[in-house]
This record gives sequence, C-alpha cells and structure tokens, in this order.
Amino acid sequence: MNGPAPLMALRGVGKSFPGVRALDGVDLEVFAGEVHVILGQNGAGKSTLIRILGGACRPDEGHVEADGRRVAFASPAMAARMGVAVIHQELTAVPHLDLARNIFLGREAAFRNRLGLLDLGAMRAAARRALDAVGLRADVRTEAAALDVAGQQLLEIAKALSQDSRVLVMDEPTASLSVPEAERLFAIIRRLRGEGHGIVYISHRMPEVKALGDRITVMRDGRRVALLRRGEAGADALVAMMVGRAVALSRPPAQTPGAVLLEAEGLSAPGIADASIRLRAGEVVGLAGLVGSGRTELLRALFGAERGAGAVRLGGRPLPADPVRAAAAGLGLVPEDRKRQGLALGRPVRDNLLSASFRRLARRGVAWPARLEREARSLVSRLSIRTAGTGVRVGTLSGGNQQKCVFGRWLSAEARILLLDEPTRGVDVAAKAEIHATIRARAGSGCAVLLVSSELPELIHLCDRAYVLRDGRIVGELAGAALTEAAVLRLAVAQEAQAHAHG
Amino acid sequence: MPMAERALPAPFRRAPGAAVALVVLVAIFAASSGGRFLSVGNLVSLSSQVALLLLVALPMTFVVLTEGLDLSVGALMGLAGVVAATAMLGGWGVPGALLAALGTGLVLGAVNGALIAWGGMPAFVVTLGTMGLAEGLALAVTDGEPVSGFGDAPRLAWQAMIGPVPLPVAVAAALYALLHLLLYRTPFGAHVVAVGGNREALRLAGIRGRAVHAAVYVLSASCAALAAFLLVGRTNAAHPTVALGVEFDAIVAVVLGGTSFERGQGWLFGTVLGAAAIGVLRNGLNVLAVDPSLQVVAVGLLAILALVAGNRRGGRART
Repeated sequence: MNGPAPLMALRGVGKSFPGVRALDGVDLEVFAGEVHVILGQNGAGKSTLIRILGGACRPDEGHVEADGRRVAFASPAMAARMGVAVIHQELTAVPHLDLARNIFLGREAAFRNRLGLLDLGAMRAAARRALDAVGLRADVRTEAAALDVAGQQLLEIAKALSQDSRVLVMDEPTASLSVPEAERLFAIIRRLRGEGHGIVYISHRMPEVKALGDRITVMRDGRRVALLRRGEAGADALVAMMVGRAVALSRPPAQTPGAVLLEAEGLSAPGIADASIRLRAGEVVGLAGLVGSGRTELLRALFGAERGAGAVRLGGRPLPADPVRAAAAGLGLVPEDRKRQGLALGRPVRDNLLSASFRRLARRGVAWPARLEREARSLVSRLSIRTAGTGVRVGTLSGGNQQKCVFGRWLSAEARILLLDEPTRGVDVAAKAEIHATIRARAGSGCAVLLVSSELPELIHLCDRAYVLRDGRIVGELAGAALTEAAVLRLAVAQEAQAHAHG
Repeated sequence: MPMAERALPAPFRRAPGAAVALVVLVAIFAASSGGRFLSVGNLVSLSSQVALLLLVALPMTFVVLTEGLDLSVGALMGLAGVVAATAMLGGWGVPGALLAALGTGLVLGAVNGALIAWGGMPAFVVTLGTMGLAEGLALAVTDGEPVSGFGDAPRLAWQAMIGPVPLPVAVAAALYALLHLLLYRTPFGAHVVAVGGNREALRLAGIRGRAVHAAVYVLSASCAALAAFLLVGRTNAAHPTVALGVEFDAIVAVVLGGTSFERGQGWLFGTVLGAAAIGVLRNGLNVLAVDPSLQVVAVGLLAILALVAGNRRGGRART
C-alpha cells in the first residue's frame, strides 16, 4: 500500500516482560477506511500490542507513528488525544456513575458553564447522541451498573466514538453480544470505515474475520507471521497459521444418557420464570438464548445463588438454595464474569485451582503442601494452562488461561454436574478445542454438563440437547437432528423486535 | 428496577435505613416525651447537634465513596479546637483562630491523603494512626485540661440565629449546598465516584486519581476543623477529647444514608437523613434521660441495622 501515510503504524516494535518476550519486531499499519483484523492465540502478543497502541505501555524497541510522524504515547489519555481509542474487553465503566458521566469521564471540561459547574443538560444531550450512534436505548441518567454486559460494551464504544477517535482498537467486541447486537455493531463498524476511520479489530470468530476484515495480521509468539488481504486465506489456513498446527474440533459421539442427575421444576428467580429442566448423566445440555434472556440467571438459580419459587432435585432429593451445599453436593459453576465472580486474581494459580477441593485433598483436616502442589500441577498439565508455575498470581495470566483455572477448580472438586457460563468466551481457538474436549470427556465419565454459549456453532457442536430461553422462560427444547442453528435462533428471537431493549 | 421500588419515595428507596429509623424514632419520642421532644427549644438544640454532625458526615460521604474511611476526624476536632482556643488566647482574634484550626485540619488531612493515595496504605490504618497522633498532641498541649478564658465570641457564634435558623445549621446547610454541587456538578465529583468505582477507568481517562483520592481526606479534615471551631462555642471552652467518637456517628450516618463501602455507590442527601436519625436518637434518649452509655449502645445497634439493610440491598444488585 503506497500513497497516503497510515493513520497509525508500529515499526519494529518489541516489548519484554520478566521472563516473556511479548512482542518481537512487530510491524503494523492502520490506514483510513480499513478494518485491520489481528488474529492470534492467547499469549501471541495481542494484549501487549493493544496496550502499546493505546498508550498503556511503551515499546522497548521500535516506535509508534501517527500520520507518518513518530510519537511517544505517555499515557492512554495522550493516545486518546491523538485519536486512538481502545475498547477494552474488560469493561471500564464506573458502576455508580450515570451513563453521561461515564461517557465523558476525564473530558468533563467541555461541559463547564461560566461558574465552572457541569452543564448537565448539554452533557446529557451529547451523551444521548453518543448512545444513539451505537443504538443503545437507555436513559443517560441511569447508572452504568444497571446495564447488562452487552449494554456496557456498547457504552464503551459510544465513549470511544464520542472522542472523535480516528483509530479504534476493538478487543473482541462481540464476545458478549447477542447475534442482533453483533449485527448492529458490524453496521456501526462498516459506517465508521466508510467515514475514514481506521479500525483494529481483534477477534477469534472466523465468520466475523471474513465479514469485516480488509486486512488480516496473524500473530504467533509475539511475532507477525502473516499479513493478508481479504480473501487471501480461508478459515482453516488462518487457524493453521495461528496455532502452527492443524486443530481438530471435537465431535460429540452418540451418547446414551444415564439417570437424571439434576432436575428443576417451576423454577423462578429474578430474571427467570417457571423454568423446568432435566440433566442426565453423560449428557451435555445447551442453554441457548440471547444475551439477557435469563441464561446466566437460570444457572445461578440452579446453583442456589439466587432462587425464588420452584424446586431443584439432585438425584431425586431436594437441593436447598445454598451455593455451599450445592458445591458440596457436586455442582460446579463456572461463571461468565470470571474476574468478578470466579477468581481471586491476587492469589496464586494453585489456590484458585484448589479452592473448592481443599476438603477432599485434606487428610484429617490437614492439607499437605506437597499434595496440593501435585494436584495443582496435574490440573495445569491436564488443562494445558500456560503459566510459569503454580505460584504465579492468576491475574497475570491471559484470559483463556484464567478461564481454564476456573474450570480446573471444578475438575479438582470432582463436580458431577457442571454449570458452564460462556466457558470459551475470549479464549483462542486452540484453548477452545481443549476446553471442548474436556467438556466431552467429563460427560463421557458420567457427569452432566449444562452449557451456556452465545456461539451457536459451539452449542450445536457440543450439545446432545438444548433448551432455548427467551425473556426468562424456556420456550423450547431441541435434541438430535432437530438441534440446528436455525431452529435455535427461531425460538430465541421470536418477538425479539418488541421485547428486547436495554436499560 | 422493579416498579414496586420505583413507586417508593426516594429516601425509602435509596436510604431505607435512615428513612425508616427517622420516622420510627420521631414517632416514638414525640409520643413518649410528653411534648418535650417537639418543643421549640429542643428542636433548636437538636438541629444544632445534627448540623455539627453533618459538618463531619457530609465530607465523610466523599471518603466512603472512595472505598475509604476517616477515623481521625473526632480526635482532630479536639486538636483543632485546642489550637483555635490557644490562638485566641494568644490574641490572634476570631478570624486568625479559625484559620489556625483550618490549617491544622489541612495538614492532618494532607498527611492522611498522601499516605493513603500515594503511599498505598489502607485508610483504616493511616487514619487510626493520625487519630492517635491528634489525640495525643491535644492532650500533651493542654495536660488534659479544657482551654478557656478567650472571651465570648465563640459562644455567641454557636448561639447566633440567622433569622429563625441557628448559625451551625446555616453553616451545615451552606456546606451541604457546596458539597452537593461539588459531587454532582463538577468533574471532581465524578472522579471521586470513579476512585471508588473503577480506578482503572480513571487512569485510562487520564485523570490523576491519586490527587482526587488524597483530596477527599483533606476535605474531610478541613470540615472537621471547621466543626471544631463551632463546637468550642457550645461550652465556650476547648476540650481536647470532646469530640472523640464523632467519627463513629459520622460513618454510621453515611452508611445509614445509603452510601456503600464498595464501588462508589452513594447518596449525599442520604447522609443528611442518616445524621438526622442519629441526632434524633441521641437527643430523644437525652430528653428521656437515658444513661449516655446506653446512647452509644443505641447508635451501635442502629449502625448494625444499617449494615444489615445495606447488605441486603447489595446482594440484590446483580441482575
């Protein structure tokens, strides 16, 4: 591409952290009017790349250019002033500030009146325009905490757009969006591209890469292994470049389910109403539905974290609404928001892996360190958790490896019923395949698995059977040949146009 | 938010602990005191008491919004009062004495803020330390005796009426107005909420979160010094330990008022309701001549009830 200078470029950028070469001589150019997709596994260096683009850290070698001139971003705020906005996958909203103040956090000065006070009218009007631009229908005076994950993601994007950013860096923006929400986002991205923005788009989802990517940079082990134009490589080839080897996706073998392990009847809780489901030993059962349809709430109600009316029976015996008893009885919940609900980020990998199984590992009340270490190491290798050791703080691992840790906890606890909420969200292709294999293996050994996933292909692929939720109610059950993407979508989105709104 | 909750008036929705306590306590004391509780004289005294508490509790709301707390304010009030009284005895005049008290607050607040925001130390430990420091200094300077003999100006100020309004109430009202604007109508206010709610968001937005974090402790200590100055007028003497325990009432008022110790959730007006509830409780028990020690027990019970109510609300926050 000769001609105009790129909006932004990295030239020979290298970055090292203790023990890790995160980036090694990486070049990247982002031109006006293009969507530049970055593909790579966990640990390929994408996160570091994003941090350098967004001014959160500086390269050790090489430099950053904006409009053909060398720049040194001292801070994210400086990068923002230069027109680079990063939309982080981990949400950065302030929960108890209203949407308007969240959007303009740090930029309030633009709305000061003569007395130095905020002109709330002007700020709210501007915030409303910003929300309209991403199609988020919510009162700008509501607190960000009132939004669901998808809503908060849209809020992030609205925030970036309101900064007149010319370069938008999106880190897996669709990871928590439902299909219509993702479609809306793609429309926004295409519009921005048409308006001359440059978009850096990180995603693991091949259909998105295909649909959006004008150019694709593939990264592996901190290096750029390929730079491709649209259509130059198919999905299989791209995956092969990312992992350096071919990955076989797991296939569900035909299963004859065993006895009913967990049964819920007429279960109601905040966000769900009158749900009845049945899980049998050896089964992987899907829970499909749009974001906000009550999938997470149903898992939490089964686990006893929140429950109103209705009965849950475990092996025929009533299970009280108490997560501690649920865990002791063999239920394991892998939550969607692993940072907030699943992991103690400041604690070592070992503690996080074993926190549900200390009791099992202890002998006469004493948990011997050597025994704990052995168990932790075995989990690390069984789940291929990439960490320098079991003493490393979980917060320093990449997203996919953190997810494996949550998973490992319930493996170690020998949970017989696994409730998985988006277990592969934000996880790269290879790790995804490993998690899929683990799920099937657990089912194969007689566990029952209930799986929530926004990725329909994953759901169809892994599950023997699926319930479909809409507006907090189970609207259908599909099994075998009837379990297709089209059938699930039809059930999930009926009346969607009227019923689905944020705020 | 469910309709049922929205239909409730804001105080019962956002500060249920304070609102319910206030209604119940006023009803009990009005009914059982034979008119003494609702007498004009008692209401003036009650409002001055609440006003004094508010001077500490309102800025404490800012501190709690940052997921912190300031234990040093009660001891500081003793020290600042002694400083003000000594300044008046030294011929500094009333304005000079006020400035001396405020200066004491500023310094102590800056120490708290610096150690917490830049030193990264827990607010509990730091302010516990400065609490001891301030209390010890006040006692050392005075040998534990009240400082008096500086004329009538402080007493007249405490008793002054602006129209029908006692001066301390007017000062508290002015402070409320100021802090309301600061919290809800300035960038600083939004940044305070963000320090408690999501410091990373603040960093990404290019805000010096540490300066904001430190500033709330300076605010808290300065307001406590102002309260100390007014308090000297109540007995026209500066007692070094007179205000020990005020931090307890102030924190309870904040929590009763619907401000949470987590994630920057809070409501400034709720603190007014919380302080009113505590004021009514203490004043009403006084009117009924209940042992002062039992009053502390009563405030403690109220605090625990508030925390229980707050926890229940917090538990339902996720949808």
